[in-house]
Amino acid sequence: MTGAARPRLVRDPALLVTVTVLWVLLALFVIYPLLMLGGTAFFEEGRPALGPLLGVLQKPGTQRAFVNSLLLGTLVGTIGTALGFLFAFTVSRANLPSGWVRVIDAMTLLPLISPPFTTSIAFIFSFGPRGLITYELFGMRGTNVYGLPSTLAAEVLTYFPIAYLALRPVLAAIGGNLEEMAFSLGSSRFNVFKTVTLRLALPGLANAFLLLFAASLADFATPLILAGNSFPVLPTEAYLQITGLFDLKGGAAMSLLLLVPAALVYFVQRTWVERGHYVTISGKAGPQSTIRSVTPAMRWALILVCLAVALFIAYLYALLLHASLVVAFGANHTWTLAHYHVIFTEGRKAIVDTMTIALIGMPLGGFYGVLTGYLVARKEFAGRRTMEVVSMINYALPGTIVGIAYLIAFNDPPIALTGTALIIIACYVFRYSPTGIRTTVALLHQIDKSLEEASKSLGARSVTTFRRITLPLVMPAFFAGVGVVFIRSMTAISATIFLVSIGWTLITVRILENMTELSLGPAAAFSVFVIVIVMAVTTCVNALLRRLPAAAAEQAQWGVGGG
Amino acid sequence: MDGIRLKSVSARFRHQVKGDIAAVRDVSLDVAPGELMTLLGPSGCGKTTTLRMIAGFQEPSGGEIFIGDRDVTQTEANERNIGFVFQNYALFPHLSVFENVAYGLTVKRMDGGDIARAVTDVLALVGLASYERQMPHQLSGGEQQRVALARAIVIKPRVLLFDEPLSNLDAKLRTQMRGEIRDLQRRLGITTVYVTHDQEEAMAISDRIAVMNRGLIEQLGTAEELYRLPASVFVARFIGRSNLVEALVTAVSPDRVDLTIAGQPHAVEGAGANVNTGQTVLANVRPEAIAIGAPGNGLAGRVKSRTYLGEKMEYEVEVAGQTVQIVRFNPPPSERFAPGDAVSVRLPHEGVQLLAKEGT
Repeated sequence: MTGAARPRLVRDPALLVTVTVLWVLLALFVIYPLLMLGGTAFFEEGRPALGPLLGVLQKPGTQRAFVNSLLLGTLVGTIGTALGFLFAFTVSRANLPSGWVRVIDAMTLLPLISPPFTTSIAFIFSFGPRGLITYELFGMRGTNVYGLPSTLAAEVLTYFPIAYLALRPVLAAIGGNLEEMAFSLGSSRFNVFKTVTLRLALPGLANAFLLLFAASLADFATPLILAGNSFPVLPTEAYLQITGLFDLKGGAAMSLLLLVPAALVYFVQRTWVERGHYVTISGKAGPQSTIRSVTPAMRWALILVCLAVALFIAYLYALLLHASLVVAFGANHTWTLAHYHVIFTEGRKAIVDTMTIALIGMPLGGFYGVLTGYLVARKEFAGRRTMEVVSMINYALPGTIVGIAYLIAFNDPPIALTGTALIIIACYVFRYSPTGIRTTVALLHQIDKSLEEASKSLGARSVTTFRRITLPLVMPAFFAGVGVVFIRSMTAISATIFLVSIGWTLITVRILENMTELSLGPAAAFSVFVIVIVMAVTTCVNALLRRLPAAAAEQAQWGVGGG
Repeated sequence: MDGIRLKSVSARFRHQVKGDIAAVRDVSLDVAPGELMTLLGPSGCGKTTTLRMIAGFQEPSGGEIFIGDRDVTQTEANERNIGFVFQNYALFPHLSVFENVAYGLTVKRMDGGDIARAVTDVLALVGLASYERQMPHQLSGGEQQRVALARAIVIKPRVLLFDEPLSNLDAKLRTQMRGEIRDLQRRLGITTVYVTHDQEEAMAISDRIAVMNRGLIEQLGTAEELYRLPASVFVARFIGRSNLVEALVTAVSPDRVDLTIAGQPHAVEGAGANVNTGQTVLANVRPEAIAIGAPGNGLAGRVKSRTYLGEKMEYEVEVAGQTVQIVRFNPPPSERFAPGDAVSVRLPHEGVQLLAKEGT
């Protein structure tokens, strides 16, 4: 019999072992929890039963939450995409000095690396009953900040940077040259914008909308703080169902309801948006002549709007910093470090726990990401495509679903992990490493396969090749993966809120507790602390990436996903 | 010293658009120990796939591959003990020249002192004695190719495989490097398979050449055999330049064939192996074997173009509806046929191949 008969796996024992181990882990931490979640929602005493599911569905509260979630997602998607496009258009067409671009970049990056509550807390400081604007400036009494408008505004400000980051390369690729050609053909500016720029950016816009829609759909923290009783959404309802009413079954069913629009978004993205990409990189970049896509007046208008938004974000963060440094924001503005004292004494455990979990999760997540990305991109084995899809599931699902699934799966034997740090670490690794996987795959597409073949022809086994050739070359992806796992470990809450325990708690959960206890000072101090740490680590990782060799020039992309 | 033997090796792929395609179809090939065999052909002919199957980078979908007496069909590339030189050099970008060359030896866990000595020796051999500490991106293309060559031969492979190693170099360097590769291969006496699409390179470097087309070996022979006696229209066209003139066979005798070309009788010697009277064939006449002169003696033609290239003059002449290429080496200054001039063209009686017409 000839070669084809004997599968590769058998001849490459290291590959066989690695693939097996990865499958076991994926089965345990991705497939098994989801099966258990489905089992809880669809089965009763071992028999299929739609009763509990229908019961939850028939409750008016659930239906309202479902409608609200869709409404909020649609609005955030629309407004956030528009704002992101505005920013991307301004940066790429208004001939901004590079210093200004950097300021805009920094301002838009801020919401992405902050704990998910930050904007919401700042909103309360600004527009709440004792808010700087509502109370101090306009002297309004008893204002109600909670509801759709504030939730929408906070989510738009938190998530529009995703649209900005997604649309910037799209607009850059369309390029001024194409627009200039349209001008030279006698088209008016607005016509060019309408028929060339907007038309070509359409798939990008659709993609940005879907990203924001999914992010808003999965967002747990913002509605929990700002939506209030009048505007329930699915993630918060599912959480209250479980923690308030101890109704695991109802919560599970509700979280699965979230799956319907999430799956729809995924499907649309895969089939429609990805296929319809008009914008391709045209080999020859050509000199970017002075771009005349906008009139001088329009240019100033664009810059002013962007600056206003950037300033507003800066204002919110300044407010947060201020609130963390005064006795009681809105009542007593005496400077104090008391809140920081609180978080480093009473809050010490949360900080130590969070850092411990983040530090353990970092290398694990980075290595898992690189290894999986390498196998998926470079090796031939049965189930390779399936492994790629399965490894992305926890990343794509709303955190609420993952959290509840873990809660159900690991609460009881055979695998009881509730109350341990392991459950939180596993959640982070399998939920946030896919960024590392995708970066690795992208990087490997740029590294010629012949390097690995050269190593092989020189007598190296596949393990040696991976360790001595591939791994050093995909280091940027490793660091990117490590960075994302760290940032998310510091800032995420939607999944892990279900997994914390007396033994192991998290800063984000403490912030939430502080908010419900109305101790806003420590909440602000915690937030500032997290932002500072995350910024420091981000800077370090970026510096490290810049120092890596030429093959690493491709700056690894930072993943952004729902908190 | 080991040879290489392929026994009806094939490679089939499943292509997303084209469906099943056979890149290599039942190829059998014997490379003698110490021989330099070139696989020559246009892109997509299966030459690189064949080479990659010999290396073990790709699994044949059928057939057997032997290196020496050993059946390596099932052997992984890292256990075949081959030296492979890639088109893009494939130097490890994060390792220095020394580390690149030493890689294969460190993988074998050779003693450090022995490694240093072997690397120094081989770098001297390829003329890069003082380059040990340089990084690949600091080297020119030619230097990178030398490092790649040193890295491949330092492990003392049983066979050496080249995949279009010179195609990224400029023309002058290409000529120089192919000479060096040939010298080195002779000196080491190592069995070598060399893949290229450049027929001149193939002729300059090879002991024998296998011309491949559509996954099959069209013809196997020395450069001279391929040029003088091409077995098919494809080979005639691919090796050197050729005029394929339509001719009608009027009589066949043991050492001579009578033809009618453009309405005129023409006899050629000793080419009658596979032709029959009444058959229309293609007479393969090399451009430098055709004479051009003032109208009268020979086939009547009209000059279409004339290109002066220093040591030679190239003409395109239209003869009875066919364009004939003529190359005149060292033409006398008085010979000046301009486009539009009526001329006569004389075909040779020797060294003319009669080939069956085929689809292409």
